[in-house]
Amino acid sequence: MNISRCQVIETYDWIQGKQDAGELTHPRCRQKASEALELVHDIATGSAGNEHLTALTSLGKTLEQEGLTPECKQLGQKLSQILQENREVFQSHILTHTCPSGDCPQLTPSPCQMACPAGIDVPSYLTLIGQGRYEEAIRIIRRDNPFAWVCGLVCTHPCEFMCVRGRMDSPISIMQLKGFAAEKAISAQRYINPEQQEDNGKKVCVLGAGPGGLAGAYYLALMGYRVTVLESLPVAGGMMMVGIPRYRLPREVIDREVSMIEDLGVEIRLNTKVGRDVSIQDLKNEGFQAFLLAIGAHTSYKLGIEGEDDYQQVESAVDFLRRVNLGNHRKPGKRVAIVGGGNVAIDAARTCIRLGCESVSVLYRRSHDQMPAHKEEVIEAEEEGVGFSFLTVPSRIVGEQGKVCGIKCLRAELSEPDANGRQKPMPVEGSEHTMEVDAVIPAIGQGVDASGLEDLQEISWTKRNTISVHTSSMETHSPGYFAAGDVVTGPATIVEAIAGGKKAALAINRYFEDIPQPSMPPVPVRRRKLDFPNIPASLKMDLDRPNVEVLNTERRRITFQQVHLGLTEDKANSECKRCLRCDVCMRCGKCVQICRDQMGIDALQIGYLDFDNPGRTDLKIAAERCICCGACATNCPTGAMQMYDQDGERVLSLCGTELNRLKLEYCEYCGKVLGPRRYHDYITNRLKDISPALGNRSICIDCARKHSGQVHAETEPPNKF
Amino acid sequence: MEIFQSSGDESWETYMEEFIGMHGVITDPDANKNDPDDLVEVSLDEKGTFRFPQDCLKIIS
Repeated sequence: MNISRCQVIETYDWIQGKQDAGELTHPRCRQKASEALELVHDIATGSAGNEHLTALTSLGKTLEQEGLTPECKQLGQKLSQILQENREVFQSHILTHTCPSGDCPQLTPSPCQMACPAGIDVPSYLTLIGQGRYEEAIRIIRRDNPFAWVCGLVCTHPCEFMCVRGRMDSPISIMQLKGFAAEKAISAQRYINPEQQEDNGKKVCVLGAGPGGLAGAYYLALMGYRVTVLESLPVAGGMMMVGIPRYRLPREVIDREVSMIEDLGVEIRLNTKVGRDVSIQDLKNEGFQAFLLAIGAHTSYKLGIEGEDDYQQVESAVDFLRRVNLGNHRKPGKRVAIVGGGNVAIDAARTCIRLGCESVSVLYRRSHDQMPAHKEEVIEAEEEGVGFSFLTVPSRIVGEQGKVCGIKCLRAELSEPDANGRQKPMPVEGSEHTMEVDAVIPAIGQGVDASGLEDLQEISWTKRNTISVHTSSMETHSPGYFAAGDVVTGPATIVEAIAGGKKAALAINRYFEDIPQPSMPPVPVRRRKLDFPNIPASLKMDLDRPNVEVLNTERRRITFQQVHLGLTEDKANSECKRCLRCDVCMRCGKCVQICRDQMGIDALQIGYLDFDNPGRTDLKIAAERCICCGACATNCPTGAMQMYDQDGERVLSLCGTELNRLKLEYCEYCGKVLGPRRYHDYITNRLKDISPALGNRSICIDCARKHSGQVHAETEPPNKF
Repeated sequence: MEIFQSSGDESWETYMEEFIGMHGVITDPDANKNDPDDLVEVSLDEKGTFRFPQDCLKIIS
């Protein structure tokens, strides 16, 4: 057996091989092997239930114990061994309906779902949104991510980077569609929590009410744990609440999401910091048996330049955004310099504009192209009046009478690329100049404030000053302590924190159940397998990614109103139609290969199959070339390519996209379906040198034989001996 | 990007060995441009999203 291949499909092929080779001679053994094959088939295709593995194990033992023939005994022994060694793989297939290796064709996950750190079943919820079933869509999302609405507004959406449609034109607006569905569900009072298991009486304490901590609390509460979350700030939400400006993520959104988690019985103690208000020992005395550390990364890196610590008007971006988000809208100054080129710098700059600062400049030591901030955010900042000074390195903050009056900077030039292609900004000698500003906001990075965790001596810290964990389980090196979010990754994304919290919750459950922790990160779960909506290829090709309405620039400059106004219902429904349903099509390319190489037709131009070098995709071309022979559909391993007769036409569709539709012809004699004219011509052309008898007549094979026999009988009298 | 080799960094875990040779894209560029020592979020083709140390990554296009 091939151990690098998925052991489920490998087992299927192995039993099938035994049968085909005729090795199983005893009838009872053949029958048991057929039953085993059927059970493995169900597991490999996602239709198995919890009892399948038990039944399969029992079959293996029966074959082994009965030992009707040596081959039979060997089959039983081997099957038992496979199940023992790969139990988790088989179980994972049954529970998740996903084969992460992609060897089981019908369980191959979509790239978007695999890319989502939280593993949300994207194709299923997009299909439901396209059908107007918003509540069901949200139910699917919230099984894997409690913050559906938040992530519908501010997710970094790695799913869109991996979206196969992006190789064709532009990726599906997955994030916007999530936000749209969340708004619809909330508006209809149908934003509900998944079913909760019964209270198991076990207490878990979560330190930090950010996305990682709250996600952990959510999943633990769903599993029946009694969860208490300690939060040092006066509000819950962590960086979602105090790091992201309200014009990107309104407070109401976070409050609603948090209240959903509280509805599960999670207690959130605000203004409570471990090490300041309560000790770990106090918490243990309270009965907490496991801890999830999710305190985030709320401190700022320093610029390390003269004057930085001398003036009140130098305020880190993290501190600045926190105080503004908590309601202190005092502007930092009239003329503000923000140092840094990431998203936090842009957030701080745009916030300054909204507070009424007269001049806001972002100083970045590299070039515009090298800014790590999202391009869209940079453009919007420019629209709102933020100025940028690139290749500028601050060297000193200067002041008068205890107040900042300027920042001295050097111009920089980028060095030649090093071995890794990285260009370093090199200060130009003699280029020092002073920018007149009265406030400076450094935004060059964040770190973890570990104060309060001093008692946890057994926790290991990395060289990056983050907690060291096994990222497959988020388990620290100290039993009973788990960690998630920025305290593990350093400043990262909301969805990564959510994923970490979820993994930690699953691992905490294993800890309580005394089950070994996984060595691999969890496999995403396919929540539904929905029928494809039908759509003509021309429409599929022609639909464009929708533009999202934005607030007008004047209002953006003076208020904290939400800038991105989301999708309209029409736009959302159209956008869902662009989805290629990669949860069904595994992009193996067999259809293209058979059409081109075996049939010699080349009707399928699907360039998106190649990840590294995608070619041109034109789904419309099939209508011009395809003969509806069905070779592609017959050889499709997943059922993505389908051919069927409908209303007098033969239809070829790929995941619901109608590639071709040809009028059917019928036998002149018996009325049997013959296929389309184009197919008939193809066959006639191929057979013209062998059997020219039919001419242009439309006759089925049976009638052709009868006709030919009749002609033969009329023209060739039987031999008389 | 390609995961072209394993890393000696403490954040490299055993299960990542099987990712060597795989291709993906950087999905959160916030860190890598400024600090070569930062972990970078990479989505691997059909394998998921992970944070990797930069010494195991190389740009392929």
